Amino acid sequence: MKQALWLLVVLFMLGGLAACNPEPAATQPPATQPAAAEPVATQPAPAATAVPPQRKVATFAWTQEPDTLNPYYTNMWFSAILHQFYNCWAWEYDDENVTFPRLVTEIPSVDNGGVSEDGLVITMNLRDDIVWSDGTPITAADFIFTYQMVVDPANTVASVYPYDYVASVEGIGDRTVVMTFSEPFSPWESTLWHGLLPKHVLEPVFQSKGSIDEAPWNLAPTVGCGPLDFVKWESGSYVQFVRNPNYWLGASRLDEVFVQIVPDDASQTAALIAGDADLGTFPPLSDVPRLQAAGLEILTINSGYAEGWFFDYRETALPGALDLKVRQAVAMAIDREAINRDLLQGLSVPANTLWDALEGAGYVSPDIVPWTYNPEGAKQLLEEAGWTDTDGDGIREDAAGNKLVLRHGTTTREIRQDVQAVAQQMLRQVGIDLQISNYESGYFFSSYTDGSPCALGELDIMEWSDTTGSFPDPDHYYWLCSELPDEESPWGANYFGCDEVLDELFQRQIVTIDPDERAAIVREITQYIHDQVYWYGIWVDPDYWVVGKRLTGYQFSGITPFYGILEWDIQ
Amino acid sequence: MSRYIIRRLLQAIPLLIIVSVLLFALMRATGDPLATLGGRRQVRSADRERLSRLLGLDKPIGLQYLYWLVGNDWTTIDTDGDGEGDTPGQLSGVLRGDFGTSLVSRGRPAMGIILERIPNTLILMIPAEIIVIAFSLAVGVYSALRQYSLSDQVITAFSFVGYSLPIFFVALVSMTLFAVKFRQWGWPYLPTVGMFDPQVGKTTSQVLQHMVLPILSMTIITIAGYSRFVRSSMLEVIHQDYIRTARAKGLGERTVIYLHALKNASLPLVTIVGLDIPFLLGGAIVTESIFGWPGMGRLFLDHVTRADTPVVMGILMIISVAVVLSQLVTDMVYALLDPRIRYT
Repeated sequence: MKQALWLLVVLFMLGGLAACNPEPAATQPPATQPAAAEPVATQPAPAATAVPPQRKVATFAWTQEPDTLNPYYTNMWFSAILHQFYNCWAWEYDDENVTFPRLVTEIPSVDNGGVSEDGLVITMNLRDDIVWSDGTPITAADFIFTYQMVVDPANTVASVYPYDYVASVEGIGDRTVVMTFSEPFSPWESTLWHGLLPKHVLEPVFQSKGSIDEAPWNLAPTVGCGPLDFVKWESGSYVQFVRNPNYWLGASRLDEVFVQIVPDDASQTAALIAGDADLGTFPPLSDVPRLQAAGLEILTINSGYAEGWFFDYRETALPGALDLKVRQAVAMAIDREAINRDLLQGLSVPANTLWDALEGAGYVSPDIVPWTYNPEGAKQLLEEAGWTDTDGDGIREDAAGNKLVLRHGTTTREIRQDVQAVAQQMLRQVGIDLQISNYESGYFFSSYTDGSPCALGELDIMEWSDTTGSFPDPDHYYWLCSELPDEESPWGANYFGCDEVLDELFQRQIVTIDPDERAAIVREITQYIHDQVYWYGIWVDPDYWVVGKRLTGYQFSGITPFYGILEWDIQ
Repeated sequence: MSRYIIRRLLQAIPLLIIVSVLLFALMRATGDPLATLGGRRQVRSADRERLSRLLGLDKPIGLQYLYWLVGNDWTTIDTDGDGEGDTPGQLSGVLRGDFGTSLVSRGRPAMGIILERIPNTLILMIPAEIIVIAFSLAVGVYSALRQYSLSDQVITAFSFVGYSLPIFFVALVSMTLFAVKFRQWGWPYLPTVGMFDPQVGKTTSQVLQHMVLPILSMTIITIAGYSRFVRSSMLEVIHQDYIRTARAKGLGERTVIYLHALKNASLPLVTIVGLDIPFLLGGAIVTESIFGWPGMGRLFLDHVTRADTPVVMGILMIISVAVVLSQLVTDMVYALLDPRIRYT
């Protein structure tokens, strides 16, 4: 019995280890050969003694699995960032988040005649050499088909925005696409043509089933228009791409990109350190020193996001939240530098406006004076506003005896809970009682009728990370009065209140075509929101990438991260 | 016996319906699947209204359950938002074998998603369960036969330590040691995550290598616990009169222990394993998440966090049916092991 027990233990442990090599099997051929990457007919017959070169396979660790590969059926970041592998946008963004043409010869503008003077007609001229990965030319018909599929009510696409603003999409020949709007729509450049649907693949499905919801292409887009071809998606495990030999801009240096799904953050860190993954995203910030010590590079890429506090100033808010001086005192009582230094490992800085990432484009008022940590100033403001601690319990009251209480709610993300705990202590120092609560995001952001605490006005301060409505465009819809949720329209996104000044500014900027005039309106918005403390930034929330030692030639964009995947390589 | 089995199966029908009602209500209370659609931002209100209507989420919960159970192909859906139904429903309902389509991967049949993952879960869970049973019996019997000896004390100490360890700790420590540190030290190492090395491909050898650490993590804790059951049960049995009688008859010690004592001592283990079996289908949420193993546990976690009712209900109903069936099988095994037990 004793011997058998030990034998089993040893066999179990060594059975796996014995099969392992200290180095990867360099000469072993891959189990899944790329079907299209290297046509058999063109391959020279290898010499009997020749060792086949090791394929360049880059492994990317994704902590969430994509939900679909149809670009119009998803909101997931982990799905959307794959678009630049197998699909194509009309124009993409470089490492400075500046647009460059991908499918079009140039980005339409008033200067080149692509945008009409009234802003209602936009004309795109397509490149002559663009083809789907099966060799079929990409034409205006694919753009028209894409538009039709997005707006067709039979298709459960994730969003019809902004195509619901488009009156028509028409083609002039194969190479010109004309979009017409019923009224000027400024954010068109940052919102349109985030992916293209192959008409020759999906139209038969639509005609036979009346919808493309169940099209196999959604999960297996074997016909694409990116530098890589989709090969296989094994649910829960991996998504595999190989070089697209028909890509019009040339062949990618990588033979294969293998997206490994690694749902656990700590496992992602281990896989990166061990070298089982070449690229990771959003590592736990506490792991950053370990990753850096292991020789991995941590990159922070501006994607427009910022973590901040949204103040509720509806009738449902407590008196403190409705008092501007209290909101200003809150902004002065929080030591954001300390939060960034201590909780975020110094990897970020306080955000001043939700538009900080667009400061270079002139969308942020230069007159904004950032809030600085000044607890004494905060106390003075509260005194001026009539909030004093009359009963000596450390919490201030107003003249009517109402305690200075603010209800703060956010999701269950760990860093947010840490911020809550720290902020609670900081605000208590100035006599404000911050009552904190946490919710699953599905419930936190659920609708008015489903009991969302945000929609129902049960919180005075709500924290999450957000960006503009369609970064890098400055438009936003959260503060529109029409977005206030109620029984009749339970899905409204305005959890804050109807400020008619702000509402008018937001409505005016979206129909203003002149870029300078629009920028001036947005600057006014940023100044107004800052002064009213409707939004209070905690930190700039960039995308984090962990790059392994083997990768070379990489560059990231905050909007289309893999715009340059063609140049990525492995040492 | 046949009548007993038929009676038990018939009793299971109302039980499963009650379970499905409770689970459906709980699932729909977990949040709004359209709130973010998995993105970093809220979904626009117009899109939420449209998708809610198209996916039937705007209906009262009772009607949603009815559609899930019997389908909605007898009614129409309002696709254009004018308040009038215009397109026939597509759902056949669970009673006709249609669990609906995923809300996360819209258009994808829920049962198809589940069936894709079951093999991955079983190739991890079945070996793990076999190892657990084998080692628990071996360690438990060994320990019982040497009660209060040094080896028994050592095994007891290790069992308590093992049983006290949380599985995520065992998994992460074993990954750090065998996959990260061993590699850094230039020793033969195990892989960190996934089912195979993409450079090599999905070979049997690769999958086996990738199974070692997840199985090790799952089994250590369970063996530590189950071996204690076997030990105590064995200790109780070997002091019974019939064991003394067997020895008095002159039977060999091995025959007494393995044929007479172990058979009776294994009854508590049969109960526990009987409870385990249906959950083999459910996978191991923590282990699968840490090792990136594409099994049912992760599928459940991924979809329950996004309130994907069709997929989650599919998983839960499969497990519910498996629980009912496995309990029936367990009762049958009792009768086989203990002749005193009779079902009528």
